[in-house]
Amino acid sequence: MGVDIQSLVDGLMTALQPTNLLWLAFGGFLGTVVGMLPGLGPATAVAVLIPITFGMDPTTALIMMVAIYSGAMYGGSRSSILLNTPGDGSAIAATFDGYPMAKKGQAGQALAMSAIASLIGGLIAVVGFVLLAAPLADFALKFGPAEYFLLMLFTLSAIVSLSMGNMTKGFISMSVGLLLSTVGIDLQSGVYRFTFGLPQLSEGIDFLVVIIGIYAVGEVLYNYLSIDKPLGKKKRVGEKWITKEQWKRSKWPMIRSGPLGFLIGVLPGAGGSIASMLSYTTERQLSKRSDQFGKGAIEGVAAPESANNAASVGAMIPLLTMGIPGSGTTAVMLGAVIMLGVKPGPLLFENDPNMVWSLVNSMFIGNILLVMINILLVGLFVKILDTPPKVLYPLILVLAFIGTFTLNYSIVDFYLLMIFGVIGLFMKMLKFPIAPLILALIVGGDMEQNFRKSLVASDGGLDIFFASPICIALIGLTILSVCYPLIVNGIKRKKMRTQHKEWDM
Amino acid sequence: MISTRLLMPVFFIFVSIGFLIATFNLPKAKMGDPNAPIYFPAVISIFLLIVSVIYLIREWRAKRKEDEPLKRLKAGRTPVLIVSTLVLGLIYALVFFHLGFLVSTILFLGALLFLVNGKSRWLVNIVVALLFSLASWYAFSHLLNISLP
Amino acid sequence: MKKFLLAASLLLTLTACTSPNAGGSSFPVKNIEFVAPASPGGGWDTTARAMQKTLDDEGIVKKPINIVNKPGGSGEVGWKYLKNKDAHTLAVNSSLLITNNLLGQSDLTYDDFTPIAILATEWEAVVVPKDSDIEKAEDLMTKLKKDPKSLKLGVAPGLGNDDHLSFVQAAKTYGVEVPKLDFLVYESGGDVATALLGNHIDAATMSVSEAKEQYKAGKVKILAVSSKERLEGLEKVPTWKEEGVDMSFPHWRGIMGPPDMSEEEIAFWDEKISEMVKTEAWKEILQNNEWEAYYKNSSETKKFLQEQNEMYKDLLNDSGLTE
Repeated sequence: MGVDIQSLVDGLMTALQPTNLLWLAFGGFLGTVVGMLPGLGPATAVAVLIPITFGMDPTTALIMMVAIYSGAMYGGSRSSILLNTPGDGSAIAATFDGYPMAKKGQAGQALAMSAIASLIGGLIAVVGFVLLAAPLADFALKFGPAEYFLLMLFTLSAIVSLSMGNMTKGFISMSVGLLLSTVGIDLQSGVYRFTFGLPQLSEGIDFLVVIIGIYAVGEVLYNYLSIDKPLGKKKRVGEKWITKEQWKRSKWPMIRSGPLGFLIGVLPGAGGSIASMLSYTTERQLSKRSDQFGKGAIEGVAAPESANNAASVGAMIPLLTMGIPGSGTTAVMLGAVIMLGVKPGPLLFENDPNMVWSLVNSMFIGNILLVMINILLVGLFVKILDTPPKVLYPLILVLAFIGTFTLNYSIVDFYLLMIFGVIGLFMKMLKFPIAPLILALIVGGDMEQNFRKSLVASDGGLDIFFASPICIALIGLTILSVCYPLIVNGIKRKKMRTQHKEWDM
Repeated sequence: MISTRLLMPVFFIFVSIGFLIATFNLPKAKMGDPNAPIYFPAVISIFLLIVSVIYLIREWRAKRKEDEPLKRLKAGRTPVLIVSTLVLGLIYALVFFHLGFLVSTILFLGALLFLVNGKSRWLVNIVVALLFSLASWYAFSHLLNISLP
Repeated sequence: MKKFLLAASLLLTLTACTSPNAGGSSFPVKNIEFVAPASPGGGWDTTARAMQKTLDDEGIVKKPINIVNKPGGSGEVGWKYLKNKDAHTLAVNSSLLITNNLLGQSDLTYDDFTPIAILATEWEAVVVPKDSDIEKAEDLMTKLKKDPKSLKLGVAPGLGNDDHLSFVQAAKTYGVEVPKLDFLVYESGGDVATALLGNHIDAATMSVSEAKEQYKAGKVKILAVSSKERLEGLEKVPTWKEEGVDMSFPHWRGIMGPPDMSEEEIAFWDEKISEMVKTEAWKEILQNNEWEAYYKNSSETKKFLQEQNEMYKDLLNDSGLTE
């Protein structure tokens, strides 16, 4: 399918048609707003906004959906930074340093940096798409169950490295997440595990309910502890634009995280949560100021934001080159374009090149538009911080309930929401790291299923985990990610035996 | 008195044992290895048990130190706020389908605002509860086409 | 005559005490609700929304129709919800209604509800990678008969569904030891297709629509389809019947109402749905989704569901999932 300059230019012309531009901007704006609400991530945002695309020309509809998708990715990190309540798995990493920055009165800078990083990640990924779509699609196919298992294992080891200095609590948090991931029907055998006879639990505990519960509800309950303390000084928004020094520090993390996120996004089933988390831990390990991570380091906002937006572009590759949705969001999009009479499949590039290239160009233009929208809106977003907390907290609670309801339309999720709210409260009070629980819950199910699929495929032999170069590389990375911080920590400890740092997220 | 520090580790030990027992009572798979669904949760529960015991030992060593974090739970009106919020949430869940989205949300949000923001600012509370519920109802059910009761 | 109707309807209203608002010649008296027992985006949701759109756009049903999503428990949550509603609520269903019950995963089954219609069907396909040395369905089955574990088979999203059972039925005819087969269960049809394209599995069973585009691009070979006759666009692919297996295996979707609906309410839907399936709009939706018209009215549906129940009972026993 290669790069055919003519098709690329034709696509650019289509994307620049006023109607398409208008829908692009409108979709991006809507996506941002919806993505800010707790629980309404990209998949839900696209699903609920699909009726708008009815009756549109298929190309325009697809452009609109991609705009909503990216918009929701931008929006998800807005609430992470401002309120410590991520809207979706891929926005969790933005809370690590974004929220501390907001607390320090640098909300404006964090928001601006997240928008810039998203733009850079997105642009890197679009370029990657144009040049590498076909070989990458082949690369993604090489991932069998063993490779997936090892990728999940690598992610878990990165999570462990996150709780460095607080290992016991990190491991407890991770194990609880893994145990929760086993709730529901076991795909390989059809056995129901730990569902207590509730059909609502048969498809497992929705990790979004856990995210909203622990972060949004837990955060509000946690803030109750200090609600009557006089507000010291008014939370300041600070500068609305980043400084030169911040740019210098974030430049390389963003440029490194873009390709990383893009590659992970291409793999069906991996996606934004894993991409942003891996880029965050990578940058933390590479950084000279890794002790600042988690306390409001701007690189800690830039890296995951670049990665998750790049991943959302990468996720379009399996959809457009093979007709296979690689993520929940692209699955929803697939359903929608089928209704419009488009048949995405391996032949889409040949049969309808103009549609594909208009879409690619729209992703490019869309990212630029979104950055403008988001930077213009920084002033408006930070107004949220001016709302008196005593009014804001009830509003967050109500939004958390509504957002939860939109996930499964079920009351059972309300009870889960409150249970995880209380768990979140205790975790925050006792300084248990939260990310290991959530990520273990997200990857745990896939990890177990892929491990068992590998064993069935190899008739029980473990050699399948060493059978391909990808496997070996992933094993190497896993070992490295576990050992590297240990070594660094060892050296540091020798240098200054004085104090033992605990850092919370 | 035994320090409250030990509560958490003991809680996790119970969780892991509970999961372990539940794991061994899982139904067997009808095809392939009958124990296949059991291995993973069993391994994880045993791991959790081990880590929890380590946690217990650590906290035991530190038991003389004051348990700061949990003390804050009892301070001021915090316990009232937390418990009332959860009770209100429970009521909201119970009446949600019967009263419909709009009425139940106005009541829930209103009650939360009176609870957190205080009675003295009743006007703000009522206005916010009404406007916000109406706006979110309109946004979700009309603009986003989500079916609300 | 009018008086008679009025009297009859009054009588009906009185007798149909479970649904006081229903009955009466003026049915429906309030907004209608279609339950999709799944999240937006899936097959059930698409079916419900397609019906809503056609009935509404073509002016077949005057009352507004709302879609309610009730995902969970492979449909059980939505169907439980339907059970306590009156005749203004209908729910989309499929063979899972029957198999969930037979597998012991649900107490509800087809005769807990009022059958309204079967709407459309898809067909099942057995697929192998393009460079596989298996050329014919017979080759595949011979291999499996010799050693049931020699080939790794992909299926999604669970054992006991139509993808799985259609394969079981074919394999059984060839004398394969079905309970010993190695199935790798994937989360979605897309994941199975990816695994097949990457040669991580040797063969897969999936619905035709999931395989067709890959087949057209020459990425996979389809060995057989479960329809009665060869399918449009797949003229070179034999049916199981031609391969010596006497079966046609539809992967159908239908719609049903709460228990104890009155004759009149059923007649209302029979009339409206038979009108709907004749519209161009509906036919276009079927074509876009690669579905085939498979309309059965309420009485045909009733009979069909009974037959299906018997068939699935046997198949599940053969597969080794039930005893």
